[in-house]
Amino acid sequence: MPTKLKKSLIYWAFLSPLVVIILFPFAVMFVTAVRPRDELFVYPPRWGFSEFRWGNFAEMWVKTNFGEALFNSLYVSVLSTVLALVLSIPAAYALSRYRFRGKGAYRTFLLMTQMMSPIVLVLGLFRLMVAFGMVDNLNSLVLTYAAFNMAFTIWMLQSYFSTIPRDLEEAAWIDGASHLNSLIRIFLPLAVPAMAVTAIFSFINGWNEFVLALTMIRSSDDFTLPVQIYSQVAGRYQVEWHHVMAGTVLATVPVAIVFSWLQKYLIRGMALGAVK
Amino acid sequence: MASVKIRNVEKSYGSLKVIHGVDIDVEDHEFVVLVGPSGCGKSTLLRMIAGLETISGGDILIGDKVVNDIPPRDRDIAMVFQNYALYPHMSIFDNMGFSLKLRKRPRSEIEEKVLEAADILNLRPYLGRSPGQLSGGQRQRVAMGRALVRDARVFLFDEPLSNLDAKLRVVMRTEIKALHQRLQTTSVYVTHDQIEAMTMADRIVVMNAGRVEQIGAPLDLYDSPANLFVAGFLGSPSMNFIKGRFRRDGGRAHVFCDDGTALPVPAVSDAANDQPVVVGIRPEHLCLAKDGAGVAATVDVVEPTGANIELFVELAGERVCAVFGERHPFRPGEKIALTWKLEKVHLFDSNSGDRI
Repeated sequence: MPTKLKKSLIYWAFLSPLVVIILFPFAVMFVTAVRPRDELFVYPPRWGFSEFRWGNFAEMWVKTNFGEALFNSLYVSVLSTVLALVLSIPAAYALSRYRFRGKGAYRTFLLMTQMMSPIVLVLGLFRLMVAFGMVDNLNSLVLTYAAFNMAFTIWMLQSYFSTIPRDLEEAAWIDGASHLNSLIRIFLPLAVPAMAVTAIFSFINGWNEFVLALTMIRSSDDFTLPVQIYSQVAGRYQVEWHHVMAGTVLATVPVAIVFSWLQKYLIRGMALGAVK
Repeated sequence: MASVKIRNVEKSYGSLKVIHGVDIDVEDHEFVVLVGPSGCGKSTLLRMIAGLETISGGDILIGDKVVNDIPPRDRDIAMVFQNYALYPHMSIFDNMGFSLKLRKRPRSEIEEKVLEAADILNLRPYLGRSPGQLSGGQRQRVAMGRALVRDARVFLFDEPLSNLDAKLRVVMRTEIKALHQRLQTTSVYVTHDQIEAMTMADRIVVMNAGRVEQIGAPLDLYDSPANLFVAGFLGSPSMNFIKGRFRRDGGRAHVFCDDGTALPVPAVSDAANDQPVVVGIRPEHLCLAKDGAGVAATVDVVEPTGANIELFVELAGERVCAVFGERHPFRPGEKIALTWKLEKVHLFDSNSGDRI
């Protein structure tokens, strides 16, 4: 056997327990989502089922008001990502290019905010949103998600920005560009990979967030996907597991696929600035 | 085109002063090279002319206008950076035409100017490529081309050849000089390479530790350096220095070294008897003495370079380099005698380092 193949096999053997742990919930989710309702609870449990029912998805879509929750999730994730980026880019640019008083303290502050769990702050945030009159309003989530992501996005963008040679902007100034012009025409096009990575990260955070969404949103019309799926389970006499699982599949699989496709960029982005 | 005047310019970073009141006049059409060891402030000075660094004191004038507070884009200068600073996401054409595009010139004019510059620099086949697809030398030419299309009043060069390999560096050196002879644009060129400075400059400014040591035409600096620093910095292999005490003796004079060796030197009137001095002799000015005359030396190392033989000898307790065009069969350990013409000897004061 060629050594390279042998090596690959050994690596996969080591990785296989992890693969099983990661894929098992997906497998359960999927087989539950597509089996008929009366085969949900059989003993002993088995993987097989008599009928492959795609219809579960359509039923679930209507019954659980999935479309609206999907729209809410998209709204919150996209807007919070855009807001976080719009505010992080100038902050990261300033951190990487200018010297100013309190720069070190600001960076430490950003790092400290990452050390606190959002759950600790959830009560305070709720009261803040009450004061703003924004409870039961999706925009409260847009604001809080953007705020929580910004520490990471600023940090990440700043480390990438620092790898873009200052000479390029200086050359643009000498060529006759204003600061704004050189930022738009030279700097930002070069920073696109980092912005893409931070956008993906921020989007996924918003998409998966549960605790804040559960706290801030009261009416079921405004539920995001995680809360909507949770509401199909919690406090019910009868849980329609095949619908819950169909919803979970629809909520996670597309994002998982996109994420695994983009993860090489994400890892490359995270490693940026580590080695000059 | 325009002249550049630097008037008592200073630069400090906080309490650290890196440039201590520098005065330089660059005439219209002149090619001036700022040269010095790394950290001497030459790049900082260039960046101050470009407007990329603020000026802590003094004035910089381009033409007759003080530009201290004018941003780089309004100074009408072009600059070639050490790492070329080509915009990686633009084609070579767009790189070269960027400045004209910013000035909202018509497309036809941009095309004409870029093609003209591309022809001068032999870049026409590469205009559609991106900077990443070019070799170092080609990128360097694009950086030059970006400056050329501008018709800027002053060209600034920040060590533009230091990223090229030795052979290409020599080629580009000649190209830049030929280009200047053709276009006559006022140019300020920064380098740490004294050969670049000697070969390219109309005038050289030698800088050290944030101060100007000497300004002058290359051969003037080479033939009469103002102090030990300039003498040692220009020339390769560099000038030999031997310490001793000056002694006048009738119409002749000698410098006596610690080991008793007497070196014949010119009887300069400015040196006092017993004054501690440094004798400076360039390697190419040392000759083999005939018939038992000259100063005794022992051959240490022989380095043939092809064109010359570089000979390192022990003379008056110091290691001294001599360069010979003829192919003498020297052997390590061999005793020889060296002599020199008195008018080729430089004398420096030991304490101040200034020329006597």
